[in-house]
Amino acid sequence: MPSTPMTADALLSVRDLRVTFRLPQAEIRAVDGVSFDLNRGEVLGIVGESGSGKSQILFALMGLLAGNGRTAGEAMFGGRNLLALSPRELDRVRGSEMSIVFQDPMTALNPYKRVGDQLAEGLIVHRGLSRDAAWKEAVAMLDRVRIPDPVARAKAYPHQFSGGMRQRVMIAMALLMKPAILLADEPTTALDVTIQAQVLDLIAELARETGTAVILVTHDLGVVARACDRVLVLYGGQVMEEAAIDTLFDRPRHPYTQGLLEAMPRLEGEETARLGTIPGTPSARRGPGCPFAPRCDRSIAICSQEAPMLLTNGSHRIACHVEGADAAA
Amino acid sequence: MLRFIGKRLWDGGLTLAALITLTFFVMRLAPGGPFSKSRKISPEVLANIQKTYHLDEPVWMQFVRYVKGLLTFDLGPSTRFRDYDVGGIIASGLPWSVTIGIWAIIVASLVGIALGVAGAMRRNSPTDYAAGIVGIVGVAVPIFVIGPLMQVIFALRLGWVPVGGIEGGWRALVLPILVLALPNIAYISRLTRSSMIETLRENYVRTARAKGIGERRVVWGHVLKGTLLPVIAYLGPATAAIITGSILIETIFALPGIGRHFVDAALNRDYPLVMGITLLYGALLILLNIVTDLIRAWIDPRLRNGR
Repeated sequence: MPSTPMTADALLSVRDLRVTFRLPQAEIRAVDGVSFDLNRGEVLGIVGESGSGKSQILFALMGLLAGNGRTAGEAMFGGRNLLALSPRELDRVRGSEMSIVFQDPMTALNPYKRVGDQLAEGLIVHRGLSRDAAWKEAVAMLDRVRIPDPVARAKAYPHQFSGGMRQRVMIAMALLMKPAILLADEPTTALDVTIQAQVLDLIAELARETGTAVILVTHDLGVVARACDRVLVLYGGQVMEEAAIDTLFDRPRHPYTQGLLEAMPRLEGEETARLGTIPGTPSARRGPGCPFAPRCDRSIAICSQEAPMLLTNGSHRIACHVEGADAAA
Repeated sequence: MLRFIGKRLWDGGLTLAALITLTFFVMRLAPGGPFSKSRKISPEVLANIQKTYHLDEPVWMQFVRYVKGLLTFDLGPSTRFRDYDVGGIIASGLPWSVTIGIWAIIVASLVGIALGVAGAMRRNSPTDYAAGIVGIVGVAVPIFVIGPLMQVIFALRLGWVPVGGIEGGWRALVLPILVLALPNIAYISRLTRSSMIETLRENYVRTARAKGIGERRVVWGHVLKGTLLPVIAYLGPATAAIITGSILIETIFALPGIGRHFVDAALNRDYPLVMGITLLYGALLILLNIVTDLIRAWIDPRLRNGR
């Protein structure tokens, strides 16, 4: 791995993160040497298609991997390596300093507990509040995520909320402890399009107010454009390209990023233009070369033999034999 | 809530009425009668007996008579045990069956749930395998093998408890309770284990873990409720079946419960006694199902509305 320039005040520094799943027949490498920094107050997007390993990065950071998942590498946060913490130490971090919003709000809340109790729980455990005081804060937080009549709604059960409202509850739960980092795993994928924008804006707004940095995992470039400051493009568990949002949308360098952008519908421009597609499907089989090489229309001989290094040009990073050469220049 | 209970009781009453009618006529459809097995009796005597028990009347009149009796809680006379009526027979046997049954259910629930939880939390560990073996043995080995085996070990060899009968006080009930509990321990532990493994995979459990509240709180506060729902659904009908007696247990341990009466009654065509015990079982089953539903609705708010 090439040394990545360390931003001095990076809140979270992930280095060479690997996540593998042991199956009876094989070992799946879901995340394959990912490095990035998250700065205070920024919203970092991680995009990639299904199976690119983007959600597993978040689960690895939170210690929520499935039982057969293993991590390697380093994730430094406040002087601790998150990947090496004991369960007890990890419990002191997650839920209070770092929290997560999941993809599917319909199943992420406990159907047997009142919403208020589920919110209050974290305050009671982490801050030692009484049940009454915790409920008061929970209700105030429900109000902040704009749930109407929060006092009454706190007493309700999750099945009495709509999907959008449940995701608001999840966001309230995640931001209740004013964490330094909020991880959001496709928080709007399961929601109606009209609700998506509201929820996204809510996350961005509350994060800005509390100074919380956000890692937003999504496959939706529209979401990225709306909410993120910087983007990490993932393919096959590896970083293909990393750039500030404007750079990525204006001057995407990696063939995969370019393909993604061409596949994105635009409101302006000629109406009749067909959306671009990337041929092929992501494959779990991994050779020694660039994971995207089998689907890349610009691949050359070396692409399937040797993995490209992640080269840095200012804040723009790109891993590509074809495009990367002049980036390093 | 009261409306819910009222409606369920009304439904239960209808079910019971159907059960009474069906049992009554099916019993009469079977060949033979209460006195056809006895030694040869003269036709005059037989007619006399038939008359005493109203068996000479048309079946539908017997039915009306029976139902009329039921309304005053009169279950009728036993045709086998002279001088006893069915109510009296049930009243003398039921307390034994209920005592043993309730204790067996309590033991089975506690041990079964504990084993199931231990197995689910440490999958494929020695604990899990040990619980699995108890499960297989409990389900596969019949009561009439386990029962005498335990009598030999704990009563004859070690002399801790009596072999059977009711003279030994509470000690006499230890073995029957254990033997009766064993298959249920097995079933409940398997049910709990699979239910808990399923619950542990739920997204909301992951949410709870993400809150950093500690594994103990995750399990007690979030996993247990979902785990126990199917177990409770099983316990309702199982309790009804267990407390109405078991002929095997009562025969092996020489206990005066009602399970034995039921089988005897069916073999002897003791119509009123069969009806009485069937009715008792049916009523208990219906009642315990209502209780089960109430408990489940108390745990799961989604079950509260609409029904």
